[in-house]
Amino acid sequence: MNRVLALLFHQGVLDEQFLQLQQLQDESSPNFVSEVVNIYFHESEKLLKNLRGLLTEREFSDYKKMGIHLNQFMGSSSSIGAKRVRNVCVAFRAASEQNNRAGCLRALELLEHEYCYLKNKLHELFQIEQQRVLAAGVRYPMQR
Amino acid sequence: MQRVAQSSVSTTVASGYGSCKGGRASGSATAASEVMVYEQFPAGLRVLVVDDDITCLRIIEQMLHRCRYHVTTCSEATVALNLLRERKGCFDVVLSDVHMPDMDGYKLLELVGLEMDLPVIMMSADGRTSAVMKGIRHGACDYLIKPIREEELKNLWQHVVRKRWNENKELEHSGSLEENDRHKRGNDDSEHASSANEGTEGVLKTQRKRGNAKDEDDGELENDDPSASKKPRVVWSVELHQQFVSAVNQLGLDKAVPKRILELMNVPGLTRENVASHLQKFRLYLKRLSGVAQQQGGVSNTICGPVDPNVKLGSLGRFDVQALAASGQIPPQTLAALHAELLGRPTGNLVPAMDQPALLQALLQGPKHIAVENGVAFGQSLIKCQSNVSKHFQQSKLSSAEDVSSAYGAWPSNHVGTVGPSNNILGLNAQNSNMLMDILQQQQRQQQQEPQQQSMLPEPSCIINVQPSCLVVPSQSSASLQAGNTPASVSQNCSFNGSSVIDYSLLSTQTNNSSLNVGQFPNRGLNSTGVLSGYSGPVSISSSVSSCSVNPDNSMGRQGQCLTVTFSAGRQMPGLVPNMHDIQGSYAVKTGETLDQGPLRNLGFVGKGTCIPSRFAIDEFESPMSNLGSGKFYLENNRVKQEPNVDFMDNTKVGIPILHQLSSNDVTSVFTE
Repeated sequence: MNRVLALLFHQGVLDEQFLQLQQLQDESSPNFVSEVVNIYFHESEKLLKNLRGLLTEREFSDYKKMGIHLNQFMGSSSSIGAKRVRNVCVAFRAASEQNNRAGCLRALELLEHEYCYLKNKLHELFQIEQQRVLAAGVRYPMQR
Repeated sequence: MQRVAQSSVSTTVASGYGSCKGGRASGSATAASEVMVYEQFPAGLRVLVVDDDITCLRIIEQMLHRCRYHVTTCSEATVALNLLRERKGCFDVVLSDVHMPDMDGYKLLELVGLEMDLPVIMMSADGRTSAVMKGIRHGACDYLIKPIREEELKNLWQHVVRKRWNENKELEHSGSLEENDRHKRGNDDSEHASSANEGTEGVLKTQRKRGNAKDEDDGELENDDPSASKKPRVVWSVELHQQFVSAVNQLGLDKAVPKRILELMNVPGLTRENVASHLQKFRLYLKRLSGVAQQQGGVSNTICGPVDPNVKLGSLGRFDVQALAASGQIPPQTLAALHAELLGRPTGNLVPAMDQPALLQALLQGPKHIAVENGVAFGQSLIKCQSNVSKHFQQSKLSSAEDVSSAYGAWPSNHVGTVGPSNNILGLNAQNSNMLMDILQQQQRQQQQEPQQQSMLPEPSCIINVQPSCLVVPSQSSASLQAGNTPASVSQNCSFNGSSVIDYSLLSTQTNNSSLNVGQFPNRGLNSTGVLSGYSGPVSISSSVSSCSVNPDNSMGRQGQCLTVTFSAGRQMPGLVPNMHDIQGSYAVKTGETLDQGPLRNLGFVGKGTCIPSRFAIDEFESPMSNLGSGKFYLENNRVKQEPNVDFMDNTKVGIPILHQLSSNDVTSVFTE
């Protein structure tokens, strides 16, 4: 798990905000991190869908609305420490502000890619953690 | 109003007393109830978080829980607004996202500001200056950029405190509005406030105008929300502020322009605008220091508003001290010693002050003893000063001066005698002071007297506030004690000056001030002397300060003002009887001139002075809290300029003696506690 985490940090996928998130997890909310990350995935997918819709369905996209979506995406991504996703959002927003449709499309592709990568890695992380918890759970009874 | 107040005061001390007391008690009671809501203060703060981004909402909720705040979350602005309307008074602060689908965060901010006047903090991932500026213009107390960190939320309470404090100020000011109007020119409130600002100094005025020109919206909103004029944040750390102060000192207050200051400071990343706004605040503080009381709520708001939160609450305490230290006067640790020293010096002007260490030790040792000593010293100093003054001034006044001194002496003694802060004792003190006041008044013109009296009056009451026009405010719980009133002493000086304008040449500066004042506030003009003794009440100490306002009358042409500041800090342990006291002498100064004439010194002074107001504010606010056992401290700085007083004062700077008092604890600590 630490190895996966270290890798993600090294790649710049995550930043220290994710550690903050982990620190927020305590007895009162034992699944805080995965809870938040799942909310994030859920929201992000809606946002990505909206963004794609805005860019592809019409000839003249609503860049302002796009900016609002991107802002939210940036906010949530940075809040969970998804650094690379956030950075792509920044680029995306810059392109949308210039009404740069091609730039937006490229940024969207990249965003989707980064998002998928993040999602896969975080799932992997949670699975490892879950297994560890299970293993720990199994061990206790044995010790007794 | 003034006249009435005066007459009552002058005629009977007792009546004045009673009235003051009543007013005070009620004021302090409300303040106390407000603050006392939180016993462990920041914990339990009720926060409403509004964000359409559920991820952030969840994270922030968790963070706030960790800060032990009471959190309510809401993902829709309209729902949040309804919640706020239905449950008025159920939230202390609102944390809102900027972009929300159903309602723009700015709109929510505006509505909340209009309807419930709660502090609203905006947050967004959009940290561009334009976005932040927009939030501020709409009245946001703060603007947090996502990702939000727990540390930022830990400090959330400060906005609540600040807001309340400002409100209290307004309340207190409101009483004085009428008077001010009369004095000034009878304008409507807003105008009045603005006139006050401008009136203070020409420099200030230009500053303001410049600021307004730069950002019109800012100017518009200033009156509405203190924090409206906040700029993209530059945190004025203590170090940065010191650099700033030294740069200003180097240039001279009147000659200090942002560009030059910036050059001198040579801090990367700092812009001319940052410096300009800080300079403005600095000047406002200065002004405020001298005339705080007099000013109105509007003014106070503006003053308060601009200040960085950090600066205000957090670092002010340190600020002052450090500033002092920076000025080369004293290390923080020795502040106490300084106080003592200063006090001592006045008495023995020429004689070198006692050793600081010795004083410190004394202070440290027996609080009671110390108190006594201080008291004595204080009294002496006062006396001496007065006598000097009297000499310089009118001979006829001498007699009065003596009386005063005697009164003072009495006061200290009383002080000493009283261990506990008993009301009776206080009363005695107050009475003495009153006596003094009376005497002084007699000497002085009535007009002048008024301010003094007013100031005096408050004393009887637990708190020290005084003049209607002014606010001053540190009030403490009724149980606690009262601070001495130095104001009286101060006022005397002031009065002398004012009255003496004719009499003395020394006063010239003052006179100048007065002339200046006419247009301006009293603040400038003045000087003050403050004295104080701290008392300790079981709980906390109060400090008293008063600012006097002065000058209501133009006829005289003088304006007085005084500031005084004084305080004592004491930390008291609940059980302990006496406490520490700080005494302070203050001295008159003329700040007014400062701007123009007295360049640098004031600056130093100003900086310090500046702090004071803030502290006061704090005091007021906190006083209730102080009950908890925390001590408060105050600093005082007064400088004197060319006045005769100089003798008293110290040496260090040319003409300006400064007194400082520091308290060991920072206000902040109180809060934290």
